[in-house]
Amino acid sequence: MAPLIHVRDLTRDYRLIKKREGVAGGFVDLLRPRYRDLRAVDSVCFDIEAGEMVGYIGANGAGKSTTIKMLTGILTPTSGKVSVGGLVPWRDRLQYTRHIGVVFGQRTQLWWDLAVIESFRLLRKIYEVPENIYAEQMKVFDDLLGVGEFLHQPVRKLSLGQRMRCDLAAALLHRPRILFLDEPTIGLDVVAKESVRGFLREIRDLQGVTVILTTHDLGDIEQLCRRVIIIDKGEVHFDGELEDLRTRLGRRVRLTVDLREAVTADDLRKVTADLPVTWRDREGKNHVAEFRRAEVSGAEVIRQVVNDCQVSDLHLAEVDIEEIVRDIYRAAGKEKA
Amino acid sequence: MSEPTTEAVRADRLVPWGRSWTATLGLYASFVRLSFLKFLAYRLRYYTGVISYTIFISGHYYIYSALFRSGTPGPGGAVTIGGLTLPEMVTYVAVGWIGRSFYFNNISRQLSRMVVEGEIAMQLIKPFHLQTVMLSEAVGESCFRLMMFTLPITVVIVPLFHLLGPTDFALYPWTFLSFCLALVIYSQWNFLIGCLAFYLKNIQGVLRAQMVSMDFLTGVLIPFTLFPHWFQVVVQWLPFQGISYIPVTIFLGKRTGPELYQAIGLQFAWAIGLFILARLVFKFSVRRVIAQGG
Repeated sequence: MAPLIHVRDLTRDYRLIKKREGVAGGFVDLLRPRYRDLRAVDSVCFDIEAGEMVGYIGANGAGKSTTIKMLTGILTPTSGKVSVGGLVPWRDRLQYTRHIGVVFGQRTQLWWDLAVIESFRLLRKIYEVPENIYAEQMKVFDDLLGVGEFLHQPVRKLSLGQRMRCDLAAALLHRPRILFLDEPTIGLDVVAKESVRGFLREIRDLQGVTVILTTHDLGDIEQLCRRVIIIDKGEVHFDGELEDLRTRLGRRVRLTVDLREAVTADDLRKVTADLPVTWRDREGKNHVAEFRRAEVSGAEVIRQVVNDCQVSDLHLAEVDIEEIVRDIYRAAGKEKA
Repeated sequence: MSEPTTEAVRADRLVPWGRSWTATLGLYASFVRLSFLKFLAYRLRYYTGVISYTIFISGHYYIYSALFRSGTPGPGGAVTIGGLTLPEMVTYVAVGWIGRSFYFNNISRQLSRMVVEGEIAMQLIKPFHLQTVMLSEAVGESCFRLMMFTLPITVVIVPLFHLLGPTDFALYPWTFLSFCLALVIYSQWNFLIGCLAFYLKNIQGVLRAQMVSMDFLTGVLIPFTLFPHWFQVVVQWLPFQGISYIPVTIFLGKRTGPELYQAIGLQFAWAIGLFILARLVFKFSVRRVIAQGG
């Protein structure tokens, strides 16, 4: 079976006016503007199977949103091919949008001045949702998101967390095959974030929707996605399982040590001289070491440190995905340089 | 076409989908209804509108009264300016503005704001034509305006200035039909102007300029007959006369028989022509949507 989403050599340029200097230059710009093309997305390729939940991550301006805008049919690419279930998003927009749900964290698709319930009724008509499915979906949204509480309030009076819950429900009312989420947890507090993530997990298991998620918050990815695509400066730098990403870079572990007496990093290096451990250059009572789990066990390192030093406290933690991604960016930067 | 096919849903295919005629009408009818309800919810904002329209029409009344007093009587004994007597002139101005209180809307500003602020993305992800949605909302707004502006203003203005109503009662429904067509022409023109926001960085100036020139070109401010001949020829070929000049002259009984049908036919043609043009221009412009952020 063919993949549901098929993307090949997707490229999008933005045309920017190159400004000349000074007042005279400003006048010349008016008459004969000079342009320069900025490549926001550069030959991106990937396939996504039905039912997958994929994290699409990258720094600000990496090309995430531009990709999502092309996949949702809002933006026409400069070149390249996208086929989603046999439809071309920007060309077959009216047919295609029937099958997708979209949440842009920074915007709302609800009608601002109307009570929430009116927006849902209107969406029901827009997508021609049968009465029984509408009732079922509303029940699910109430059970999982608690939208029942504020159905009769106008959208403009909702809190950000409430609004996001309503927007998620609105995007899923018609049981779309594909759900696009652009920064769905942006600006939410910890509780609201948890509730959104929990809901997405449930809805994935219940309704088998294919999800593409862009985010800054790697917590979203860790909790929701098995597969990640990392994009930087418009190019794909990693596409694979989150687990692979971790192991490829080696499961790095960080040991934080509090000592009773101040020592230098060199003193500690001597202590663990026969082990593959890197100590950060520090002086004083607090020191940090990093090592790879594959090369040495945590117990080994701790035993040596405790044997030779007056340790008051220890803390062992796995390096989180955020730093791994940062490493990937850094590696990408070096390749280019 | 609206029924999904019975074949098993394939995981890698999206079923082609379309809406039946009746479902389409039902959908856009609900936009009319919601727009009406929205304006009704904000009705307090519009109470002052009745007063300002009345003051505006009164101003015109006194200007024209002064003008006609200084004019020389024609062969029939009455003063005429541009082929209109004073009562006709006052009726012309009053009916023009009463009509404007009905067909007016702000589509150009709404659309340009959506484009500039990127809000249009939220409209493009929905399976409907934004243009038809905005037309439906304009119709809803006009229903509200009819109730909150047009009728109250008429009740105040007619006895105040002894307006002349046509003796032929058939002209009332014709005038109403003509103003309804005016609403379509006006909204589609505004939609086209709003589309300029796809191409221009700053559209505020254009919007203001077109707002002012519209009042001239539709004939609502001053009857065309007061303008030089070349101007009258030019406006014959523009859609704007269908917004105010045609419905008002129908009301005044200046068009009868074939001339009446011709005028309504011309409005129809412009309404349909502009609707199609607006759809094409929007489709073309959407491909140039400028996305904010990466």
